[in-house]
Amino acid sequence: MAMQAVGAAQASGADYADARVVRDDSESLTVRNQEMEGIDRSVSEGVGIRVLVGGYWGFAATARGEEAEIARTAQQAVEIARAAARLPREPVSLTFTEPVTGQWQSPMREDPFDVSLEEKVALLMEATRRMQAVKGLAFAEGSIDLFRRHEWFASSEGSAIEQTIVHSGAGIEATAIAEGEMQRRSFPNSFRGHIAAAGWEHISALGLVEEAGRTATEAVELLSAKECPSEVTVLVLDSGQVELQIHESIGHAIELDRVLGMEEAYAGSSFLTPDDRGKLRYASDLVSVTADATLTGGLGTFGWDDEGVPAQRVPIIVDGVFENFLSSRETAGAIGQTSTGAMRADGWQNLPLIRMTNVSIEPREGTLADLIGDTKDGIYMATNQSWSIDDKRVNFQFGCEIAWRIKDGRLTQMYRNPNYTGTTTEFWRSCDAVGGREDWTLWGTPNCGKGQPGQVARVGHGASPARFRGVQVGVR
Amino acid sequence: MPGVLGPDEVRAVAQAALGLPGADGVEVLLMHEWGGLTRFASSSIHQSTWREDTAVRVRVVKGGRIGVAATNDFAPEGTRGAARNALEMAEVAAPDPFFPGLAPPMPIPERAGFDEATATATPELRAEGVAALVSACARGFEAAGAFETVAMETAVANTEGQFCWTASSQASLTTVVTGGDGGSGFAEVFAAGIGDIDPEAVGRRAAGRARASQKPRDLPPDRYTVVLQPSAVSTPVGFLAWIGFGGRGLIEGRSCLAGKEGLRVAAPAVSVFDDANSPLTLGIPFDFEGVPRQRVDLIRDGVFVGAVYDMRTAKQAGKQSTGHALPAPNPEGPFPLNLFLAPGDATLEDMIASTERGLLVTRFHYSNVVHPVESTLTGMTRDGTFLIEGGEVKQPVKNLRFTQSILEALANTTMVGRDTELASEFFFSASRVPALKVEGFNFTGRSNH
Repeated sequence: MAMQAVGAAQASGADYADARVVRDDSESLTVRNQEMEGIDRSVSEGVGIRVLVGGYWGFAATARGEEAEIARTAQQAVEIARAAARLPREPVSLTFTEPVTGQWQSPMREDPFDVSLEEKVALLMEATRRMQAVKGLAFAEGSIDLFRRHEWFASSEGSAIEQTIVHSGAGIEATAIAEGEMQRRSFPNSFRGHIAAAGWEHISALGLVEEAGRTATEAVELLSAKECPSEVTVLVLDSGQVELQIHESIGHAIELDRVLGMEEAYAGSSFLTPDDRGKLRYASDLVSVTADATLTGGLGTFGWDDEGVPAQRVPIIVDGVFENFLSSRETAGAIGQTSTGAMRADGWQNLPLIRMTNVSIEPREGTLADLIGDTKDGIYMATNQSWSIDDKRVNFQFGCEIAWRIKDGRLTQMYRNPNYTGTTTEFWRSCDAVGGREDWTLWGTPNCGKGQPGQVARVGHGASPARFRGVQVGVR
Repeated sequence: MPGVLGPDEVRAVAQAALGLPGADGVEVLLMHEWGGLTRFASSSIHQSTWREDTAVRVRVVKGGRIGVAATNDFAPEGTRGAARNALEMAEVAAPDPFFPGLAPPMPIPERAGFDEATATATPELRAEGVAALVSACARGFEAAGAFETVAMETAVANTEGQFCWTASSQASLTTVVTGGDGGSGFAEVFAAGIGDIDPEAVGRRAAGRARASQKPRDLPPDRYTVVLQPSAVSTPVGFLAWIGFGGRGLIEGRSCLAGKEGLRVAAPAVSVFDDANSPLTLGIPFDFEGVPRQRVDLIRDGVFVGAVYDMRTAKQAGKQSTGHALPAPNPEGPFPLNLFLAPGDATLEDMIASTERGLLVTRFHYSNVVHPVESTLTGMTRDGTFLIEGGEVKQPVKNLRFTQSILEALANTTMVGRDTELASEFFFSASRVPALKVEGFNFTGRSNH
């Protein structure tokens, strides 16, 4: 069908065409206080056809698979491209990529879609039962999310690719409520837990039941904890918060379409410019960041991106110096580079955009305990609760679920409602410790929004705990 | 070109699921959407798309247990398959003690929200609109944005005999103009019909703001009197939909308005309501479980007077559904999608003239909740922030970060604009709101642009 769509587009006048036939399956379960909140499955299938005509893009998509409908949709894509020429611009040219025929499948040991619903429900029931056993807890919630994408890609350059990618994740969340106050603790991470490119074995190993009691206890304890003080201090972040710090203040900033103004009107642009490559000191020399679409288990892992460009490992920041953008075949050419293979689309019905792959901080040395033990006075924050950053990815503010005062290398006073703020390069330049491989986790961010019409991507971030100096915390 | 399938064809698709053997009840939500979006940046079209999709979402009830399955296969066999899938899910679910049953047959008010010209708008028509918008930009300035035309059919059918169907359309044009020596300007417009959009006027408005916001100066974060344009007011109002007005959050004590029914939560000049049937918004006349949408007063003259409910939360609260269900399964609970902040009698000029020192804010960016019970948000200003001194707009300032309780801001509102706009919010649906003047708005940080 993908090849048929490419042929139809060429017959309609496309100079270049690619097509993606996609079937997305998903399953989601949510249990709250041992009651079923939601249990649903969905499937979505269709074809998206992207064309270049005279150097202008067009894209059209349909859920109907009949031959005539595909031909009509291809014709529509061509007409859209011709209409775009109403406003003249430099014609789009694509950097070279070797045409490829191949298959790729994300590795897993146990297909999560084959696991019985009874087993899934039982896991969440037991986790929420254990949380509810903690006195004072209002809500105990557990969730499982499964995704499977089967995609066929074909291009007029001769590529023919089939990929199957499975993402599995689960998490628990404990909520305690008192007069005028609500506190939440999550495990292993907030916003529905830890999702990875893996099978049921990933969910089985998370330890949801084992961690349920501690998670709930901390939520209740937070109700009576002191407010996080307002001060400038040393800040230690757990790897889950470093994940989102990377996502918002590095991952989005290095998307070359933002840098070139292509996202200006919606999610914004970037403070970076093409000239910053190899020159800008983005972070301290302890910080190296890599975008690696070949990492086993990452939500940004694949065989080829949605332009047929092979998965790559790309150095983004090397010893603190900015080196590379995430790019596409179109945008890379605009700065004299080749694509870093970062184009992905949300389903069949959207055109590919530059999306993060697995944008990760490279581990250095030591455990989280070592970082805390090496800190005389400061604050340790864990688990993201909220995020906000400006339209050029400069000024940010994050909230976390929990914090503790560090005194002489030990966690002491617990704080509720912790948050911190800063500006991107100043913050990353203040990093004076990055944890080692022992506490490095390849997290998944399942809800990254971008583009118009809006698209949601699942992306990966490997992160260690890290320490920063001179950070404003307790913003009120 | 695709077009409206109509109630008869949609009902036939639903019927394939409603006949599912072994179920106590079945509900089918059907949606059919098509349209195009022409996206532009650097004053040229760089991403232009068109798509048609369908969605069938089947909720099956068996012994008080609920399962949901969805497909975009709009054929009867696809719908039957989704129903079987939902039944399988229901059979392993625990019974829902608050399941209220499916919606009984109820009349649905007529709503004229479909425009054929919008449903059949061509890429050439949208490109002409973008060209007109771009033409309003002076030399040295560039426009980015999106011109979208979409049409949709929505229907709900269930085994209780309820069937409702409607067709609707929406056209929207949004732009940010940048250039010169820093600064940027924003404008947007929403309408049910493309004929109600004047692209050149949208371009002129954004370009004017971009010119006015050149060479912004640094301003220290502090508490300032603010005059919020409607495009900024949509942020606090939109977030209240999420953390305040939903019946579920109130029942569970998670809402910032929990325990405040009948109490003053805002200045007397502030009234907020939800009304999907108003011609001043883009709504459909029933919710996603087939209940007619009602106008609901939420804050009246500063007093919190009501919330929105779906059938499940209404049963819990001992009330009637107000027709605000989201598609099942729905852990968020009911949600107001068509909010209004009622107009006052002030002009924007009145607000500025009465401000000795303050800020005029065009809009907020990427806001998020800091403390839901206190209704505290943080976010950045964007696309035109201006210092007001001595009752006049003096000069543009660089973007500032706010950390501010919504309810405190509404309590500190001293003037409400007489003109309203349908204004978007990054995460939520558009609200129809006026400009507001608010005292002591808390800015806690600043950016470099």
